Amino acid sequence: MTGRTLHVDLGSGTGRILDDGPAFSEWLGGSAAATELLFRHGDPKGDPLAPESPVIFAIGPFSALFPVATKTAALFKSPLTGELGESHAGGRLAMSLREAGIDALVITGRADRPSYLAIENDTVAVKSASTFWGQSATATDRILREAESKTGRKISVVRIGPAGERLSPMACATVDGSRHFGRLGLGAVLGSKNLKAIVVSGTKTLPLANPKEFKAVYDVLYDRVVRSKEMKKYHDLGTAANVKPLSMIRGLPTRNFSQGNFEGADAISGERFAEKFLVQHTACAHCQCGCIHLAELREEFAPYHYSTNRVSYDYELIYAMGSMLSLSSPEDILKLLLATEKQGWDVISLGCTLAWATESFLRGNLSLEETGGLSLSFGDGAAYLEVLERTAKGQGEFYRDLEKGCAFCSGKYGGEEWAVQYGGAEPGGYMTGENFAVTCMMGVRHSHLDDTGYSIDQKLLNAAQPLEDQVRAQVKEAQWRMVLNSLMICLFARGVYDEEVILRGLDALGLEWDAEKLQTMSEKALLRKYEWKALCGFDHGSVKIPEKMYSVQTATGLMDRDSLEERLRLYREYAGLKS
Amino acid sequence: MAVQYLNVVNRDQCIGCFSCMYACSRMVRNAGGSGKAALRVKGYAGVEGAFSIRVCARCEDPDCAKACPTGALTPAPNGGVRLKKDLCISCGACVKACAISALQWDEEERQPIPCIFCGQCVKYCPNDVLAMTEKPEGEDRR
Ligand code: SF4
Ligand code: SF4
Ligand code: SF4
Repeated sequence: MTGRTLHVDLGSGTGRILDDGPAFSEWLGGSAAATELLFRHGDPKGDPLAPESPVIFAIGPFSALFPVATKTAALFKSPLTGELGESHAGGRLAMSLREAGIDALVITGRADRPSYLAIENDTVAVKSASTFWGQSATATDRILREAESKTGRKISVVRIGPAGERLSPMACATVDGSRHFGRLGLGAVLGSKNLKAIVVSGTKTLPLANPKEFKAVYDVLYDRVVRSKEMKKYHDLGTAANVKPLSMIRGLPTRNFSQGNFEGADAISGERFAEKFLVQHTACAHCQCGCIHLAELREEFAPYHYSTNRVSYDYELIYAMGSMLSLSSPEDILKLLLATEKQGWDVISLGCTLAWATESFLRGNLSLEETGGLSLSFGDGAAYLEVLERTAKGQGEFYRDLEKGCAFCSGKYGGEEWAVQYGGAEPGGYMTGENFAVTCMMGVRHSHLDDTGYSIDQKLLNAAQPLEDQVRAQVKEAQWRMVLNSLMICLFARGVYDEEVILRGLDALGLEWDAEKLQTMSEKALLRKYEWKALCGFDHGSVKIPEKMYSVQTATGLMDRDSLEERLRLYREYAGLKS
Repeated sequence: MAVQYLNVVNRDQCIGCFSCMYACSRMVRNAGGSGKAALRVKGYAGVEGAFSIRVCARCEDPDCAKACPTGALTPAPNGGVRLKKDLCISCGACVKACAISALQWDEEERQPIPCIFCGQCVKYCPNDVLAMTEKPEGEDRR
């Protein structure tokens, strides 16, 4: 890993290669290195949608070399939260960047017309996207895969749907087959740059510093990936396997976090999806696990005439479009997911915002006037589909606002108490208790993936643990994930990659790291992110949980204000943050 | 040992992970990445999850070798081809002549990549898509 950075300025339509070696040697790569690049190129006070606001993609030293190092980090200023925007995606992007010899890609400026970026090894071209501006994320993929396919070459296609073009702060960027930079609004940032898509391909291979040791480490990892129970579960039913058990412990958010057990959980379980709808598993490039589950949605559009679409699903998607909206029909969920995929929305933000709107309507906070005569009620799949259609068409102020997220909508229409969002970001699908609430508030991305709060909560169901130990475990995990996220390892493989094998792998690549250096880097990397957040104006001392959450039963019971306060205090202390 | 053929035995079980291609590059050519693989896994635009795996058929009278103007690519005694690197002029005629697009092209060296039927790709396929067999079997291969 040499820190070879491609800097593209869309304003002038030019690209140049910069040497960012130090960012990579000091910070390992991926997420932590990209944070440094964000400090260098980004203005924390700036408008996230201004031309100069940068988007930074980065891969890590294991990308395209070791199994399941499949992720690419995207860092930007989030139009949803107004602070750190960070989202990770799989697909083939990491492989393509690596094979193009690019460790980081920095994009600034705004193209003067709809454009896409084509990167092939060292050549960069800004090409016109005028003919397919307005096209869905799925159509854009079909178009570019043909337009840019070289004989037999593997290309990666990152693109936005119409939601990104409309600058919806919950717009995602879709990567290859159903992978996403889902969270925090990367789609809007690309849209603001008039950038419809990025196509990357490369033909380079990497010399191996120590082939014998490299192969030995590879075999250890391969064996774990293919044979470990840990990874097998992601392949078999996938994360959707969690629907039933989480509902059983009251941890599956239902009807806008009103309760944690959903009476329709069996009907939308991973088992049911697999038995009735699963037609294919696929994988990100260089992942032998293959966790991507594709369902087939067959719809009758005229008597005896059918259309068929493949739609990917997993736990978070079933939560956001299923239990949150009280939908217990997989077909209803798949239809909403297909519409979401085409528009290019973040499904978690969208599901939470639909749930907020429904509760608001039921409480009389929103009227038929605002909804344009449409009644919203939990369980009404057809109405939700209509909502998505009106939102996509921008039919009326309310529908134009809806795609701006919970925080914006509740600020404007009221109902903040039941707008489930933390620092502006809608949460993942866990209603497990205080540890998870702390993850949502303190996690650098406000993501359930920032630490392991939801699983600490679940362990409490079996054995009590002192509060200090819970928080300490949480912070430790948040720091450790700085290592995994800088190597850009898929977090589903976190059980495969322990410290020992990581150090062996780095050594085999001729990179000098030891346990202490990793530890220090991980602690510093976490603090660097908080530092950037603070510069944006984020105050980790004042982030709140939605009032409603104090009155609902989570898996571990009611949440307590004092105990939550204490957890936040400890979290800051253990992470080394000044209060 | 009897002559071994590389066969695609369970095409529909392929998940498109490219592990086989990484294995061939790594184990046979000592290269990191997938660019030196002697086989290819292809996807289709708009058909998510459908893959076709192109492996060398170990032809007895290979079209690729016949197309080579310099004699760099020649039939191997038990089928398949071997390459004399210094005779190759990088014209690409061989790759074009392979109707099933099995013969791969090394973009860095600008030469074809003949399969040596070592079975490493088979070993690193997690889904039993590939197998080494004693006969070229089956008709729904690729
Ligand atoms: S590329 Fe080389 S091996 Fe192939 S036909 Fe031309 S000269 Fe022969
Ligand atoms: S048999 Fe060996 S040379 Fe042929 S494709 Fe497989 S790994 Fe490569
Ligand atoms: S390793 Fe097996 S499953 Fe993976 S792409 Fe190759 S043939 Fe398909």
